[in-house]
Amino acid sequence: MKNEMDYTIEHSPSYASLRLDLKANETVFVESGAMAAMDSCIKMKSKVQGGLMKGIGRMLGGESLFISEFTAQGKPGQLFVSPGVPGDIQHYYLNGNSLMVQSSGFVASSPTVTIDTKFQGFKGFFSGEALFLIKATGEGDFWFSSYGAIVEIPVDGDYVVDTGYIVAFEDTLNYNVEMMGGLSFKSLRTGILGGEGLVCRFRGQGRLWVQSRNLFPLLNFFNPFRPVKSNN
Amino acid sequence: MEIQLLQQPDSAIARVIFNAREELVAEAGAMIAMNGYLNVSTTLRQGKGGGILGGLKRMFAGESLFLSVFRSPTAGCELFLAPKLLGDIFHYQVSNVGLVVQATSYLASGSDVDIELGFQGFKSLFSGESIFWLNISGKGDLLLSSFGAIYEIEVDGEYVVDTGHIVAFEKTLNFEIGKPGSSWLGAFLGGEGLVCRFKGKGRLFCQTHNASAFGQLVGAQLPPR
Repeated sequence: MKNEMDYTIEHSPSYASLRLDLKANETVFVESGAMAAMDSCIKMKSKVQGGLMKGIGRMLGGESLFISEFTAQGKPGQLFVSPGVPGDIQHYYLNGNSLMVQSSGFVASSPTVTIDTKFQGFKGFFSGEALFLIKATGEGDFWFSSYGAIVEIPVDGDYVVDTGYIVAFEDTLNYNVEMMGGLSFKSLRTGILGGEGLVCRFRGQGRLWVQSRNLFPLLNFFNPFRPVKSNN
Repeated sequence: MEIQLLQQPDSAIARVIFNAREELVAEAGAMIAMNGYLNVSTTLRQGKGGGILGGLKRMFAGESLFLSVFRSPTAGCELFLAPKLLGDIFHYQVSNVGLVVQATSYLASGSDVDIELGFQGFKSLFSGESIFWLNISGKGDLLLSSFGAIYEIEVDGEYVVDTGHIVAFEKTLNFEIGKPGSSWLGAFLGGEGLVCRFKGKGRLFCQTHNASAFGQLVGAQLPPR
């Protein structure tokens, strides 16, 4: 039986914010620093989920070390959560299965969900576009975010995604990172980050979520506008 | 070919569904996700002073005229495309009337649409904007992207647009580039940069925001290169 939390995703897809309506004494895990506003009856506690070592693992995964725990004490309360980057938020209910999420995509989860860092893509490491994933398992609610809008793709067979646009996917999908010749401009570098044509190929059956924008091209866009260091 | 535009206007993403043996040409790096069965290859458009070197030069000028070609072996293949910056996508049907597109606004086109790198219109001394135009002709689907939202103006007579806000315009319009006021000093001090004066009758597409103005504003705050 599902035991979903009461939630609303507002201002989607470009400025999505998550509103959680906690019942009395209900607890939720939130990405540290993502709390935007809340009722005064909600108490916050910073914690390192799964012990220190796992926390350090998460730090290496590009995820902040701390996850904050919010509990509505004694009476129901409202909590607004906003990801650091403007974009979309997607809800997923874990039913004993696993969800792989791009490392900066974690927004919030039920306390019954376990979050684990899983390293992937040392292949992608040199490119600055490393594909780091966190793995969410257990039973309960999970929310993840993107830069730009989220599009859900039901994969059945073979699907290719630019590594910079992966948000999350179900564990039933097999994946591996590869270079795609037709998309590669490696010999003619198109920017400081990315442009190598690195893709992730998914096989099998399962749901996949991609984002409509990526932060790397934005960084590349700003690069030529930076002031030039003078030699004097 | 079926094209759906999703999540408009600020996070727009295009979903393309191919018929068998159809082809789509898209700006390099515009592919987000696709069926694994699609064939992909790269191509380079040659313009005046083109070739690989011309392409390189354009690339350093912030223009990537390297294009990816997507070919569908079977019907029903799917492809997602999006521009790099936040903004909208516009679906234009190319027919007898040709279109002139600002190169950064080009996203994708069908295989029967011809893309020719036009002249480098001018290089503004004041704003540092360099604008490349693409000459679009032929027949078929064309996807344009904008920084911010996109709006259409039916020009009949004369119209003036800041060059940084032009997305595309139909070739039935004549245009000349000039200063907004009567003096060059005023153009410089007023910060308006250069404007395009359109004459004639045709459709004109503009974007609500100017990407290079945004780049200058934010870029100036970043640590030096």
